[in-house]
Amino acid sequence: MPTHADRKEPEAALRVRALESLLAEKGLIDPKAMDAMVDLYENRIGPRNGARVVAKAWVDPAYRQRLLDDATAAIRELGFSGLQGEDMVVVENTDSVHNMIVCTLCSCYPWPTLGLPPVWYKSAPYRARVVADPRGVLHEFGVDVPDDKEVRVWDTTAELRYLVLPQRPAGTEHMDEAQLAALVTRDSMIGTGVVRTNGAPA
Amino acid sequence: MLLTAEIVPGLVAQGASARAHVDVPPKFKVGDKVRARNLNPTSHTRLPGYVRGREGVIEFDYGVFEFPDTHARVFEGVPEKPQHCYRVRFTAREVWGPTAHPVDTLRVDLFDDYLDPA
Repeated sequence: MPTHADRKEPEAALRVRALESLLAEKGLIDPKAMDAMVDLYENRIGPRNGARVVAKAWVDPAYRQRLLDDATAAIRELGFSGLQGEDMVVVENTDSVHNMIVCTLCSCYPWPTLGLPPVWYKSAPYRARVVADPRGVLHEFGVDVPDDKEVRVWDTTAELRYLVLPQRPAGTEHMDEAQLAALVTRDSMIGTGVVRTNGAPA
Repeated sequence: MLLTAEIVPGLVAQGASARAHVDVPPKFKVGDKVRARNLNPTSHTRLPGYVRGREGVIEFDYGVFEFPDTHARVFEGVPEKPQHCYRVRFTAREVWGPTAHPVDTLRVDLFDDYLDPA
């Protein structure tokens, strides 16, 4: 028997199709433009971009400083810019502060560096709970923050978009920029994760 | 204007910043104590409910942006009202009370029209 959840997806798909055909009939979009947009965000723009930013900041102290001073310009140096990344801020995790990002009002997210947000990021439970109980949410993501370390939650409801610069894990001194980038996860740049070396216990 | 596939890559790479390049004086400066107003409009706002009435500190002035509350209503004839947007620091205890973790904090980006001096 179909449940409510089963019906949800086809309804959403139907609504998207109706919107797309209306926009096309009214002469506002060429359907090929929709295909181009979907291709960009499915295949070209995603968290690997952000991982490159993080890895470069780890190996290049001057770049790290530019990133913290003017994130939009520093990220553009690597070729990442545009929609939902027009005005960027990078916040750095340290031994005393763990940052995490949410948009409690909707789903604001830095598209050029992280792509489109994961479903849980847009869910009401994440948005409501991360501001009120960030340590509880972090625990569910497998991250436990010591009591003397500040958890700093950034609610990105205005026009700035945020990216977390995670801490470089110990034991990675021998790695080059590309190897480091491969370690960087999407969640570590939202702040719901930390970067670990391969094989390290979770 | 028809959006075509050729326009898409440039449009995506360019984006559309909400920064307003107009000279509007700020109402607050870094270090000022502020209290978020208790506003509950039925129209669009970016003032999260949980900070209404709570006291925080201006930590950074991001400059002048279009004000979302009026920007969302330009089609109704509501005039734009560009203004400063600040990063405001709140302690978790100020927002959530004594059961909140003592060292945890929040940063919320708030516009001039959401704030009173505290």
